[in-house]
Order: sequence, then C-alpha cells, then structure tokens
Amino acid sequence: MMTPHTLTIRTRNDAVAVERLLQVTRYRGFQLVGMQLHGQADQQGMVIELQVQSERPLSLLTGQLAKLYDVLQLDVHEVQAQLRA
Amino acid sequence: MTGAELVIQLLAQHGVHSVFGYPGGAIMPIYDALYQSPVKHYLCRHEQGAGFAAIGYARASGNTGVCFATSGPGATNLVTALADALLDSVPVVAITGQVSQAVAGTDAFQEVDVLGMSLTVTKHSFYVRRVEDLAATLHEAFLLAQSGRPGPVLVDIPKDVQLAQVSAHLPQLAEVATPAGAAAFPAELAEAVALLQQSKKPLAYIGGGAHMAGALPELNQFLRATGMPSVTTLKAMGSVDKYNPLYLGMLGMHGTQAANLAVQQCDLLVCLGARFDDRVTGHLARFAPHAKVIHLDIDPAEINKLRAATVAMCGDLKQLLPAMTVQLDNPAWRNECAELKHQFGWRYDHPGDRIYAPAFLRQVSDALPANTIVSCDVGQHQMWVAQHMQFGSPRNHLSSGGLGTMGFGLPAAIGAKVSRPDDMSVLVTGDGSFMMNVQELATIKRFRLPVKIIVLDNQRLGMVKQWQQLFFSGRYSETNLEDNPDFVSLAAAFAIPGHSISRKDEMADAIESMLNWPGPYLLHVRINELDNVWPLVPPGAANQEMLMETAP
Ligand SMILES: Cc1ncc(C[n+]2csc(CCOP(=O)(O)OP(=O)(O)O)c2C)c(N)n1
Repeated sequence: MMTPHTLTIRTRNDAVAVERLLQVTRYRGFQLVGMQLHGQADQQGMVIELQVQSERPLSLLTGQLAKLYDVLQLDVHEVQAQLRA
Repeated sequence: MTGAELVIQLLAQHGVHSVFGYPGGAIMPIYDALYQSPVKHYLCRHEQGAGFAAIGYARASGNTGVCFATSGPGATNLVTALADALLDSVPVVAITGQVSQAVAGTDAFQEVDVLGMSLTVTKHSFYVRRVEDLAATLHEAFLLAQSGRPGPVLVDIPKDVQLAQVSAHLPQLAEVATPAGAAAFPAELAEAVALLQQSKKPLAYIGGGAHMAGALPELNQFLRATGMPSVTTLKAMGSVDKYNPLYLGMLGMHGTQAANLAVQQCDLLVCLGARFDDRVTGHLARFAPHAKVIHLDIDPAEINKLRAATVAMCGDLKQLLPAMTVQLDNPAWRNECAELKHQFGWRYDHPGDRIYAPAFLRQVSDALPANTIVSCDVGQHQMWVAQHMQFGSPRNHLSSGGLGTMGFGLPAAIGAKVSRPDDMSVLVTGDGSFMMNVQELATIKRFRLPVKIIVLDNQRLGMVKQWQQLFFSGRYSETNLEDNPDFVSLAAAFAIPGHSISRKDEMADAIESMLNWPGPYLLHVRINELDNVWPLVPPGAANQEMLMETAP
C-alpha cells in the first residue's frame, strides 16, 4: 500500500505558488490526496499542507519542490496518522 | 521615466548589449524605449527564432541571453525555446508584453495567461503588477537565470506597467549567490577519496554542469592527476583536453563503443554535472552495473533521481574537484581503456564517389579556424557532428540536447555570431530541421551576419527514417522529403550565395570556398538517404548492446 506523506510548505504570498506546487506534484508522479491552505496574517506568505502519495520515493518530489523560487520552507511528516486510519 | 524605459536601462545595467525579439501591441512601449537606445535589438522573423538566438548567444558566451515578445501569439511562440533552455540549463531572460491589467482576465485581444503557460517551461516566471516592483523583479530574474543550475526566466509585463511613471532610481545589484565550497563536505570528500583509492576501474562521466561551473581547468587537472579515463555527454563535448589519451568520447545511444564499453565495466563512476539522462544510460537498471557512484551536481534534485549515489555533493565543482584530486594507480584499467579507444576508433575510408557525411564533417572540422562555434540541428546530422567534429570548448558546440528541438540550429548560430563576432559561426543542419526556422535567413541578411550554413541533405527526416528502417519494418511513414526546395536558390533569395556538391572530389574546394567567403554562405551537401548513424543502442537495451552497421 502506498504511504501518504504530509508536506508543510511555506511559500511566498502569490497565488501562482500554489499552481506551481500542484503542477510539480502531478508531473513528478504524485497523487494529491489532501490539501489545506492558510494565508499569513502579515501577508508575507502562505502555508500549504499537501498530502501526497506515490509509488515513487518522496525525495523525488521534495527535491523538486524545495528548489522552486516560491518555496521558502518545506517540512516532511513521514506518515499522516489520520489518513492511515 | 516610464516602466518601459526602466526595462531598457536595467538591461544596460546588467551588461546586456544585444537582445533578440519581435514587436507587437502589448510590448510597444518597450520597443519605443528601445528606439535609439544603446541596446541593440536583433529583429528575428519568428519569436521561436528570437528565443533560440538568445540561447545561442548565452551558450556561446556564458552570458544571459535576452529575448522580447508581445502578448498572446508572441509569447506562445516563445514556448519551445524556453523549454529548450530549461532542459539544457541555459540562462535566458524572456520579457513579454501583456495586456493592461484593466482588461486582464477578460479574454482581451491577444491575451493568454502567459504566467500560467510558462510554469512548466521556465525555471521561474514573474508577472509584474506594480511599476515600483519592476526593477527589483527584473534584477531577480537575471540573478535567477544565472544562479545555481541556470535556466530560463520569464518576466511578463502588462502594458499599463510599461507606461506608468517610476523614479529613475536603479537598485543596487546583488551578486549571484556562491555555491557551497569544499569546506561544507569534509565527510563526503573523505569518503569520495577513499572510494577513488579503493577503485580498480574508476571513470569520469562528465556533463554540461562542469563547464557551466567554470570548472574545466580543475576538471582537466583532476583527470591528469588521477589518470582517470573519461567520457562526456552531448552537452559536455569539448570539456576534456583533446590530447588526453584516455578521453573516450561521448557515451550513450550514439556514443563511441569505447565510451560505452568502459562505462559498463567501470567499478566507480564519478558523475560530474550530469544527470543520467535516458539517452545516456540506455536501460537504466543495466547502466554501469558494477559501479559505485560519486555524484557532484549543483542541483540537489538530480541526486538519487535516477541512479543512487554512494556519495553526493551539491556544491562548487571548482572547489570540489581539487579536493578530490589524488594520485591513483590502475595501470591495467588505463591500458584497457586505451586499447578500447584504439580498437574502436572512427574509420573514414568509404568506397565510391558519393559523400559520406562522417568523413565530410571530419574534413570540415579539420579546416575550421580555432574557436569556431558549430551549431547543429536535430537528427542524424546532429549525431554525426558530435561524433566526428572536434571542439575546444563546450561553448563551441551548440546542440539541442535535452529537448532535441529541430529548428534550433539556424537561430542558435545567429545568436552565437552576435555574442562572439570575432569567431566563425558554422551551422550544420539537416534538410528537415533547416526548414523549421528557415525564416531566420532574413535575420542573417538584415544584419549581414557571416554565418556559414551546411545543409546535409538526405531528402529524408533521416533519424526518424532510421528508426522506421530498424524498428518499424521499413514502413517509411511521412519521412520522405524528395520535394525539398532548391536550397541554393532559397539562400539566394536572401542574398546568401551558395553551392551544391554531391561527390567526394568536390569536398575540399567547396569547404575552402565557404570558409574563405567573407559573408554568409550556404553549402548544400547531397548525401545518400541510406546512410545511418552508428553505433546505436536500441531502445530498452543496455549500452554494451550497440548495433553496428551491417552490409546492406
Ligand atoms: C520540433 C521537432 N519535431 C520533431 C522532431 C522529431 N525528429 C527528430 S529527428 C527528426 C528528423 C530530422 O531530419 P533532418 O533535420 O533532415 O535531419 P537528419 O536526421 O536527416 O540528419 C525528427 C522529425 C524533433 N526532434 N523536433
């Protein structure tokens, strides 16, 4: 069974940042199984949580996301409890 | 000043003296600011041509290439060139005009969501909403295009931003961030050195990243000191000193037998700025099957992407290579590689009167002045160029590698000539590819650019025909070009003289006339449609399973 992973990504506050994350996720062969988006009060950025799964190693996605100009920080939570349940 | 004037001033500030482009409604303020400015604009005859000219300019010089296009069809025409620059990591800044923000999102005339369209073909793209952000954004675009792994960056500027007033204050230019040096990798370097010392059959696999890092002196010193045999990718041809006796040539689908056999036997592969592309590896799981891998690349996303690395470092090759330079002692392996090189050298003895493209290109290569830039298109002729011509630097061999884009060559040769006016620029193209951006002959004419054009005419889409012959039972679907135009007359329509040859005994004089002619020139070379590119690693095969020419 494919393990879902949660990525917490802080981006610049630009709507196109979300498009880029989704495009890269799809193109690199990952399925999107959940997503939450929070604007920052100071309008300095957004925090986006992506739940993704794939047959491919997660590093193939995180490596590509981390190098996007819009991505300021990327954290991985290996296994997402509520999605496994 | 206006936003448009600021754009032109910023280009000058970034040392951009030449740009390639095509005007239209949404970019008219920028073209107005360009009028009588010190920035020289090369009007190409299609935005794709402008994009490839910017790539040729960048690849031949190492500087960022700049192209302009208007909104809608202008910007969509740039897409192929942007994709080409992305896959070959070429620093390009594309500036597109966009409809005014007042009508944005209304399907206005010539409105396309260029930011959305560009996402998959650029390293990054910007849409400038406020004229106050324009300077910083353009500056950021230039930094991004050059930094880390270079690539194309697009800046989409709405017309109202181009027309708005802004203070003339130019931002302070920041430096391109320097990549991590040797001090950042003490443990990895120790491990790499240990692997090198343990290895009995080490081999360097060199990609375009080495020269883009400016690390060719360090690379050649590393190869000399370690005595390590080496192979290069298409993009790295010209990186290794041509007198290096253990340089085995290009590896991969149309690589040399020596290169492919050595890679398959090595026990340590030192991958320097390369990415295990499928045209290089053949069957990935069977590529270099006995090798541990040391992988050095500026882009962390390339590490472990296709081949797991035993040791990896993402940093500055100029520092990392000296830190890995140790003396090695593997005489048996060195002899084995030297023997492979000797055994599988190219042969140019070819019976009959007709022109054999590999021998012809070898003869051209030998006749070219030092530092000539050779651009090519895509297909069989591209592989023959890589196999049979010699280059003193990767900047002298412009070939569309990652995207494999027909139509690349002519505009790339134009851009190369603009960036290095004192060096000769030669295009080797196929009769199919040439027609894909043939309109750029008008650019050559307009600017009197002395580009030498060699059309290798097999009256076929040769590479596709070769695959049809080998893998599709000789069903030649849509690859016959026997109705080609008369290429010499075509060139003449653009005031470019030319000559046509079809026999070996005509080659020497024709090459000499072309090279001695002071202006642009087209040499049309008829070759046999049956000639194919060898060796060839068939799809799905491992690299030692090369097909060789068999008697017809
Ligand atoms: C834009 C584009 N379309 C299609 C292809 C597929 N393709 C690869 S090689 C080739 C034939 C090229 O013919 P020609 O330029 O005459 O060169 P030759 O192979 O005959 O030397 C084609 C159609 C491509 N690489 N690029």
